[in-house]
Amino acid sequence: MTDKNKGDLLQGTLDMLVLKALQLEPMHGWGITERIEQWSQKVLQVNQGSLYPALYRLQRQGWITSSWKTTENNRRARYYELTEDGRRQLAAEQQSWERLSAAVDLVMRMSTT
Amino acid sequence: MGILREEMKRLSGTMRQRTAEPELDEEIRFHIDMQTEKNLRLGMSPEEARRAALVRFGGTERMKEEARDEYRSRPLEDLVQDVRYGLRSALRTPLFTLLAVLTLALGIGANAAVFGVVKSVLLDALPYADADRLVRVYGRKVDGSLERSGVSAGLVMDFIRMQRSFTRLATFYQGVEDTAYSSGAEARILKLTLAGAGFFETLGVPPRLGRTLTEADCVTGARVLMLSYAAWQRELGGDPGVIGKSMRLNARPWQVVGVLPRGFVGPMGDADLYLPLDLGPTLRDSTRARRRHWLGVVGRLAPGATAEGAQRDLAAISAQMAREHPESDAGHTAVAVPLRDSMVGDTRAPLILLMASAGLVLLITCANLAAALLSRTLSRRQELAVRVALGARRGRLVRQLLTESVLLAVAGGLVGILLAWLGMAALRTVSLPVLPAYAVLSLDRGAVIVTFLLALLTGAAFGLAPALSAGRTSPQGTLREGTRGASESRRTRRLRGALVAGQIALCVSLLAGAGLLARSLWAMATAPVGLHPDGVLAVNVQLTSHKYDGDGALLRFYDELTERLRSLPGVTAVANVSELPGPAMNRNGLAIEGVAWPPEEGQPFIRYVEVSDDYFRTLGIPLLRGRVFGPVDRPGAPKAIVISESLARKYWPGGPDQAVGSHVRLGPDLESPWSVVVGVVGDVRNDPALVEPEPMSYASMRQETWGNNFLLQTKGDPLALIGPFRHELAALDPEVPIGKAETLRSRLAEGMAGRRLPVLLMTAFGALALLLASVGVYALFSSMVAARERELGLRIVLGSTRQAIAGLVLWGGAAWMATGLAFGAVGVVVVARLVRNLLFGVPPFDPLALGASVMTLLVCATVALLVPVRRATRVDPITAIRE
Repeated sequence: MTDKNKGDLLQGTLDMLVLKALQLEPMHGWGITERIEQWSQKVLQVNQGSLYPALYRLQRQGWITSSWKTTENNRRARYYELTEDGRRQLAAEQQSWERLSAAVDLVMRMSTT
Repeated sequence: MGILREEMKRLSGTMRQRTAEPELDEEIRFHIDMQTEKNLRLGMSPEEARRAALVRFGGTERMKEEARDEYRSRPLEDLVQDVRYGLRSALRTPLFTLLAVLTLALGIGANAAVFGVVKSVLLDALPYADADRLVRVYGRKVDGSLERSGVSAGLVMDFIRMQRSFTRLATFYQGVEDTAYSSGAEARILKLTLAGAGFFETLGVPPRLGRTLTEADCVTGARVLMLSYAAWQRELGGDPGVIGKSMRLNARPWQVVGVLPRGFVGPMGDADLYLPLDLGPTLRDSTRARRRHWLGVVGRLAPGATAEGAQRDLAAISAQMAREHPESDAGHTAVAVPLRDSMVGDTRAPLILLMASAGLVLLITCANLAAALLSRTLSRRQELAVRVALGARRGRLVRQLLTESVLLAVAGGLVGILLAWLGMAALRTVSLPVLPAYAVLSLDRGAVIVTFLLALLTGAAFGLAPALSAGRTSPQGTLREGTRGASESRRTRRLRGALVAGQIALCVSLLAGAGLLARSLWAMATAPVGLHPDGVLAVNVQLTSHKYDGDGALLRFYDELTERLRSLPGVTAVANVSELPGPAMNRNGLAIEGVAWPPEEGQPFIRYVEVSDDYFRTLGIPLLRGRVFGPVDRPGAPKAIVISESLARKYWPGGPDQAVGSHVRLGPDLESPWSVVVGVVGDVRNDPALVEPEPMSYASMRQETWGNNFLLQTKGDPLALIGPFRHELAALDPEVPIGKAETLRSRLAEGMAGRRLPVLLMTAFGALALLLASVGVYALFSSMVAARERELGLRIVLGSTRQAIAGLVLWGGAAWMATGLAFGAVGVVVVARLVRNLLFGVPPFDPLALGASVMTLLVCATVALLVPVRRATRVDPITAIRE
């Protein structure tokens, strides 16, 4: 399944984005996709099919927890929340992402004349 | 691709089961609702909005599956899935499944049945308390003329007085006798035996009802008895108030004092009635006390004592007694063996042989199963490669394959238990007369559990190798191989070859064993017995003793019955005899006038029967010298003796010529006058299991009257005369019951039953092994040819002839078969060693038996090989290559 291999490649990124989206407040799944879309100015469209496996994965790793709450328009939804571990993980991933993107940036800006 | 579709079906099928998680559903519904609302806000129509949301989300089912995968591991659900898939794939290849399950079932069924027998005979507890401490004591003559005989009453008393090895020693009558029991009008025959003082206490058997026999019973000669549980149920309907009631035996009343527990069988064999054994009269008679060796002895070892120690103890006492009473005890010693060994007797060796045969069959089964699983894994390489490419983890694949083989094993085990149950029923009918009386043949829980574990282990062990090798396959390699022409790898080919060779080796060992035993049985059955048993009916009558007390009355009865029988139509000769030919016959000590036996050996013991005048004529035993018995040998005349040729040659240097006319004495009574040898007759092999006939001596019925066994030589079917016999007997004396009636031939065959059983079973196992090995050879080479189809096609395209192709496959097969035979030679040596003691008149490396077994195997294997060879020559090169 070639799809899966590609998913594996993106998996780390999606996990990081989810953690980031939850940094400010607890949110339900739909909210997370909206938040990422909004923050990325609609460049990043979260594959909703991969979102929930990612949420379960993050829960299993103990970086987020979930609980059922009522939304503003009175519907039940599962809200996800960062744990202390999750916050530390986010900080670490943010740091390494910045280092990586800076490095990629450097490489790409290199003049080839 | 069909496999893909299968894979999808499987995924969706297992998911349908799993909607038991409403939370995830609710979460997804919420998500899609929110997306739909958003789409509505963006101006879509409601249906469009909903559809777009669903599309955006992607396959919800698949997602749920993945989410769950992430959420937790699912060992149980995986197992259920594997089992379902395994079942489906088993049903997809019914022939393979049937073959694998049946093969395994045969192997396992045979093992469970044989294990059941072995367990009941060799492992199950004897029906006594702490039976491991019980020892049977036998008498023995140092010259070998008595082995495992009874012990004289005098010597038993010396043992009891002087021994230091037992807490208790008890005597019993060594056999079981028929007795006439009259309840109402009808007389029936019950089996009676005698138990000495403390017999039941020594064995540690408490009564079920009433009491056991006491020492007082034995000393006073009280007419009391104990009933076996079976006789209590059968004859008295299990009457709980039976204690104190009286039973009429031989027209005399006996009082019931106790009932034995269910399942009790004494070391003397299965009996209905246990009467007190009173040694008093024997001990008071100086001749009988020390010169009749008839008592069975059983002892309970003292703490710390062993059977070997006890034997030394008793042998020392015997030696001392031989010095004190040289005239009676010279050459007599004692043997002590654990009671179980003595009761298992001759069945141990055949049982171990049987277990070994069943084990070999199981090994062949395993090789077959391994081969089948290997072939299947190979033919499924494509499928497995696709599944690996689709993302199946290897561990998961290995587990799947393992589940499939364990599934087969479980099915095989279940069918195997069914077969074992059937096999046990068959074994019960063929083997019961041969096995010790205490053995209750049944498939017990232990045997079933062992069998099932065996099945699982077999499945797991032989599923593991192919499963692991499948886990290692590289998907690219296999998929590419599949599209282009490829042959089998050298490794798999070698593995197949090794499996063929292994099966051949095991099979030839088994067949050799079966061949040797069959040859031996043939030799035993065809070797002349020394008499003509055909057309002879043997009937036992049971005389109520009080009416026929005194030799005169008895002799008159015999004469009258003989006259009546002789007048029956179809009867050509009538005789009666004290004991029918068979392995267990009465013996007497021999004295020859003018001959002194070596003092350390004492007198030899010779088989001894009393016969009527027509005995030799009725059975066709030839007279070699002198005369047989006639009216001159009347009571009061000098006692006449007829001896067999081997006896004459053994103890008279001049042979039969010198023997006739010489004076001998047979029996314990030293005071009796000398008897005269009047004739020498041909040898009779009374025990058909022995190669050499044993020396025999015969006395005349007129002079020593005991002959309850009537022999009728007939022109037609002997069994048709049972009715007329009964009629004549009733006309003479209606109170005399008829005992066992059978043809002499079947009577003699009984003696061979113990020999026939291992032959029968080992031949059955050999046939089974042959069948399994043939199927194995066929299956292995078929799959080999199938795997090499492309290569063979290519060879044809490149100019190889069909003959060359046939040769290629044939020689490949022949090489492995030869390897198998070479290894089989080792097995044959082992088997020949194992069966050596069971052989009769056949050397352990009998070329005929070994050659025949090798030939049989070769023919079967070649036939099995020819099918794939034929298939190989019919490979269509174009299709083979294009595919």
